[in-house]
Amino acid sequence: MLSKVSKTRKPQAIFAVGFLLVLHGFFIGPLLVAHAPLEKTMGIVQKIFYFHVPCAWLLMLSTFVCAGGSLAYLFRGSERGDRLAQCSAELGVLFGLCVMVTGPLWARAAWGVYWTWDVRLTASLLLWLMLIGYGLARRYGGAGGRRLAAAMALFAAADVPLVYLSVNLWRGLHPTTKVVSSLAPGMRMPFFFALAIFSGLWGVLLTLRMRVESAQARLVELSIAVEDAEGRSS
Amino acid sequence: MTYVALAYGFIWGAVFTYVALLGRRVAKIDAEIADLRQRVKP
Repeated sequence: MLSKVSKTRKPQAIFAVGFLLVLHGFFIGPLLVAHAPLEKTMGIVQKIFYFHVPCAWLLMLSTFVCAGGSLAYLFRGSERGDRLAQCSAELGVLFGLCVMVTGPLWARAAWGVYWTWDVRLTASLLLWLMLIGYGLARRYGGAGGRRLAAAMALFAAADVPLVYLSVNLWRGLHPTTKVVSSLAPGMRMPFFFALAIFSGLWGVLLTLRMRVESAQARLVELSIAVEDAEGRSS
Repeated sequence: MTYVALAYGFIWGAVFTYVALLGRRVAKIDAEIADLRQRVKP
């Protein structure tokens, strides 16, 4: 039984893919971004866009995956769905943090302030806080904490369309969703490269995190079984 | 340029920190497995 737990934690293929993604993202990505044409109005600070938007996309994707797993847990009692939701929410918090840091850096240069209560910014902050709340509910919510957290995940998913469409529905300072489709040809390749690298990295991190969580769950089961066996033999 | 470098550095710093934390969790599970092995040894 113990060897089974150990076997689940030898993800060499995942490590290899992750290493390649990091290598490409860390070295080739910045080169592509550096060679992308400068945006006329904002200049070099616009290049934050190439990292900020993929992080925002992953915040939204993580929330949807978290909600999907939570639905499976709430209505079918799926433990795997619950684990998927937990791991995905954790990645949502990670990439959400990146959005919350890179966005204000861009805003400081573009708008002159780090933060303004624009609808897009506020809705994104709420989404990120809901994912943090999801983790806190699981950790400190007691016996019903997992179900409470799963319900919170559904609310968080309902915020995603609001985050996405807010820039079109209520015109604020934040650029609209049309900014990607209107990118200059020289900007498209670095942007989609960064998007692909970040998405791949998210997939690798989610797989690794799921494996750790599954091993942890099996270890708890085994610990209980060993304690039972020890109790019977004494 | 400073803002771009800060943004880029922060993202990779956050990702590497997260991977390091995952590594710590794996090490903890390994230690618990070793402990269980000791206990089930005949």
